[in-house]
Amino acid sequence: MSKKHPCGTEPYDMNYGVGYRVGHDDFSPYERVNRLRSVFLDRKFNIDIQRARLVTQAYQEHPDASPKMKTAYALKNILENVEIQIYDDELIVGELAAPAKAAPIYPEFSVEWIIDELLHHPFDQREHDKFYITEEDREELLGLLEFWRGKTVADAVEAAMDEEHRKGSEMGKRVYMTNLYHFGGIGHFVMDYEKLLRVGYQGLIAEAKENLAAARREAEASGQLESPEYLEKKEFYEAMEMELQASCDYIKRFVPLALLQSVEEQDPKRKMELLQIAENCRQIAGGPAATMWQAIQLWHFATTITLIESNGHSVSYGRMDQWLYPYYEQDIENHEISKEFAQELLECAYVKMGNPSKLKDRMTVRVRNGRGWGGESLTIGGVNENGNDVTNDLTFMMLEASVHTRMMNPWLCVRMHKGTPRELRVKAVECIRAGYGHPKLFNDDAAIEAMRRKGMSLEEARNYEVVGCVEPDLAGQEYGLHDAAYMNLAKVLELALNGGRCIGCGSGCPRYAQCAGAGKSLGPDTGRLTECKSMEEVLASFDRQVNYWTGLMCEGINLIDEAHRKLKPIPYASAFFEGCMQQGKDLGEGGARYNFTGPQASGIGTCADALSTIKQLVFDEKKYTGEELMQAIADNWEGHDVLYALVNSGKVHHYGNDDDYADELFQEVFNCYCRNVSNRKNPRGGTFCPGVYTVNANVSLGMDLAASLDGRKAGEPLSDNMGPVHTQMASHDISGPTAIANSVTKVDHSLATNGTLLNWKFPPECVAGEEGRENLVGFIGAYFSKKAMHCQFNIMSSEMMRAAMKKPEDYKDMLVRVAGYSAYFVELGKPLQMDLIHRTELSF
Amino acid sequence: MEQETGIVFNVQRYTIHDGPGIRTELFLKGCPLSCKWCGNPESHKPYIQAGIYPSKCLGLDKCGSCVKQCGQGALLFRDGKLAAIEKERCANCVKCAEACPADAIKQWGKKITVAEAMEVIRKDIPYYKNSGGGVTVSGGEPLLQAGFVAGLFEECKKEGVHTCLETTLCPEWDVVARTLPVTDLYISDVKHMDSAVHKKYTGIGNERILENIERLTRAGKPLILRIPVIPGVNDAEENMEATADFLCGKLEGKILQLQLLEFMRLGEEKYASLCIPYPMEGIEVDKDKFSEKVKGFAAYFNRRGIPCIAGTTTKEGKKDE
Repeated sequence: MSKKHPCGTEPYDMNYGVGYRVGHDDFSPYERVNRLRSVFLDRKFNIDIQRARLVTQAYQEHPDASPKMKTAYALKNILENVEIQIYDDELIVGELAAPAKAAPIYPEFSVEWIIDELLHHPFDQREHDKFYITEEDREELLGLLEFWRGKTVADAVEAAMDEEHRKGSEMGKRVYMTNLYHFGGIGHFVMDYEKLLRVGYQGLIAEAKENLAAARREAEASGQLESPEYLEKKEFYEAMEMELQASCDYIKRFVPLALLQSVEEQDPKRKMELLQIAENCRQIAGGPAATMWQAIQLWHFATTITLIESNGHSVSYGRMDQWLYPYYEQDIENHEISKEFAQELLECAYVKMGNPSKLKDRMTVRVRNGRGWGGESLTIGGVNENGNDVTNDLTFMMLEASVHTRMMNPWLCVRMHKGTPRELRVKAVECIRAGYGHPKLFNDDAAIEAMRRKGMSLEEARNYEVVGCVEPDLAGQEYGLHDAAYMNLAKVLELALNGGRCIGCGSGCPRYAQCAGAGKSLGPDTGRLTECKSMEEVLASFDRQVNYWTGLMCEGINLIDEAHRKLKPIPYASAFFEGCMQQGKDLGEGGARYNFTGPQASGIGTCADALSTIKQLVFDEKKYTGEELMQAIADNWEGHDVLYALVNSGKVHHYGNDDDYADELFQEVFNCYCRNVSNRKNPRGGTFCPGVYTVNANVSLGMDLAASLDGRKAGEPLSDNMGPVHTQMASHDISGPTAIANSVTKVDHSLATNGTLLNWKFPPECVAGEEGRENLVGFIGAYFSKKAMHCQFNIMSSEMMRAAMKKPEDYKDMLVRVAGYSAYFVELGKPLQMDLIHRTELSF
Repeated sequence: MEQETGIVFNVQRYTIHDGPGIRTELFLKGCPLSCKWCGNPESHKPYIQAGIYPSKCLGLDKCGSCVKQCGQGALLFRDGKLAAIEKERCANCVKCAEACPADAIKQWGKKITVAEAMEVIRKDIPYYKNSGGGVTVSGGEPLLQAGFVAGLFEECKKEGVHTCLETTLCPEWDVVARTLPVTDLYISDVKHMDSAVHKKYTGIGNERILENIERLTRAGKPLILRIPVIPGVNDAEENMEATADFLCGKLEGKILQLQLLEFMRLGEEKYASLCIPYPMEGIEVDKDKFSEKVKGFAAYFNRRGIPCIAGTTTKEGKKDE
């Protein structure tokens, strides 16, 4: 593509082409952006051990320091000593304490799996999510990791958990998975970028100093200078200050690097750019951002350093079209910058966001494919605190940057409300039907209500942004542990129908001795389908079983929460939260103004259809007995062909067809989960918030599960997020997209305060042309008018995905929407690829 | 009116091809024409029928639910699997379809009242409103059940739902006229301008159809006309010229749009399900070449001043430069 179109000024209904063009196509009008993107895609995923080395050194040098100070010493050592680079063509600089796209190691969180995999399951031998490490580095890393054995967050988690906590978790039968924070950092928040850009690092340091001085005066006045409370605060502020100062010094390191490169540079234009990069770094190494370029650079450094401090992912960018706008506006008004250059900067920043890679353990990779960090949501559009629309130039430019770069990051989220300008609706749909998986859409009506349910004021609620996949959150105020767990509700239903026992319980199970062998069962005996006299009894058993397992899950998460608080505070990230800064309390200690924990339900559709089978065949039509149904799933449907066919046919009511019979059972399950999770307490003084999304955990949770009464055979995926059931035999939704939309909106989405997620998959021909676009715009509008919270689209044919499975090398950059996130299709595991193909492709 | 009953073989939600916007489309059973290229053979008979999908049959050894229901011995099996329905014996009671657990026997057609149809239609009103859509009734020839159509559209109009009728326009004008007050848009075909050829391929001549088209335009009703372009049947230039003459002459160009629907092999599995041969079996088309030809016709009509496109969308997609 040549520079025919002036960027950022494309007409709102610019058609970006329908369908996906593969290969290193040049989507951006900027040659630089295309080059950066291409270099990114071709770079290998390596493991880099510098961070592991430097953090180990710091902990070894300060064995007696508190965890907060250890974190600070570690970050300081890394930022002072890690190799830094400025790559060709870059306008935004700085990496993740490793070369671009290489994954650093975070031994503070867990090391056993790294050691195990280095020794027995080499990362480069994985089926997907491969990483590469040199022999020399592998040896050194193994040595470094030895130091950490028994000292990690995961070790503390495991020490705190008893048999009850283990039996249903990832260490046991996987009724629920808490592996994310068990083995890694937490993340899942939005820092207050607006303030950082306004006051700069030195502003934050000054505030920390003042607050510490005030705390000291207060402690002195009350004779509390030796009190643990004061000392904790003091340490927190000191650690924070050390980390903020280390950040300034780190940014300063880029000044001479850029200057030296500019001296060597032959191209006069690039020379000037390097000089400007040096100037930018000089300014923001302490000072506030003076220009849009500096604002983006400062945002990038600030975020990256958070990811160097801890490996929690889904550190999201907030309402970037809002907090960046003043800098854009001022630069444009002062003629400091052209709209075209502003656009180029955004696109460079987008490509840059793709660089961080994260090494994840084998189990997590099963749940969540992809080598990026994941969850870096960027929110645009929506209303201000008075309820008025805030769409501006940047809103459109950020959408355009997305379609021009087509990277995994950022996960672009468009807030929609009744007053969203038509131009923005059309532009969003144009991007959607370009078929690369972005953006996802959020409905202010439902999300604002969810924020209100979390106890926020209307003004705060209106200012929500999205974190991770779909979680509504408040920047600089909320620490939400949004992705705390995945509950396998289909497994819970199995236990509820089978007296608390697994189907297929036998001596082959590694837990047999603790459970059945000891005369017990995995869960409590809340009932058996074979004995239930009515549907009410079945639902009551399910409710009690859900209560039991959500209880254990929440206790488990709380133990994990406490282990992080004790061993791995994050004073640097805390500096960007008003509550932490004022109270002198770390995020992990409940320093943020709002403290939540958000575990997710998986398989609600599976449960709804299974319950519908029971209700219709056993209680209403009385065609089958409970024994017959239980026998069929115990036999994995073998020898029960008639029943198997019937359950998968249109003769049994299924969720997703706008059929109240089954939809009411979906409501039962949805409400049951939300009711049993909401308002449980976490150790940071906050409560639990239920979410109904599963990323792609529905695939791995299904792998471990026996057959289920929705007509699913053992090992098949569960239903996807809020979506209907698709078994190997049949898609259970057969009434088209409006029927699905109606079914999905029969529940109150705002009850799932941690978010809901719905995937749509449309073939490209269905959204083609102006009429196809108008229909999709109209469809989304109607769907949101029914108070759905979120939706996202794959516009891609199954054939295209099948072709990509056959010749992955030709489809290296083909993005698909997996759950809350987009991923490169060819990098996903085979079961997930097949699941994506099987998700009903709607045609109309 | 609400109690008026129709025999409908498909209620499809979110259709986008027959009329503007997002629509709910009802396909009514029974058709006086027998177009060789018809893709909906289940629409032909005006009564409810059973259709079979043998690959889904579980077999007599495992199931046999259908045989128990059939008092006529109309179901034929081969190697223990359902193979055919003997039309001569079948009483069209569709008890076999009701009994089949595996969707191997499908019931083509279902009686529904206007009130029942409205219940489904109402569910998607927000989608029609947001996209400029509504309800389309198609067939078969829906006007064989004109009372049902008029009753349904009357209810639709009461709720402000846009109505579109896709009809062959072969019935008497009086029948068509019954729908005039409640129909917002008509869609019909000009299959061939030569009545003898028309009769050869559809079973009836074209006189009344053309006359009805003319009367509709004179009544000022919005009308979309279509030509299903079928190789060897109506794809000669002379026929297109004759059509253009008709549109510019007698109709004075008063149609919304002419849509050229390129022949595609459609409905083969449905013919098989009814155990009747697929009439277009021998037709092989070079798709790319034929598409070019159809696009050429569209260009021709446009030159003659007739708004025409290849396809069913009312607006063409813009091309990325």
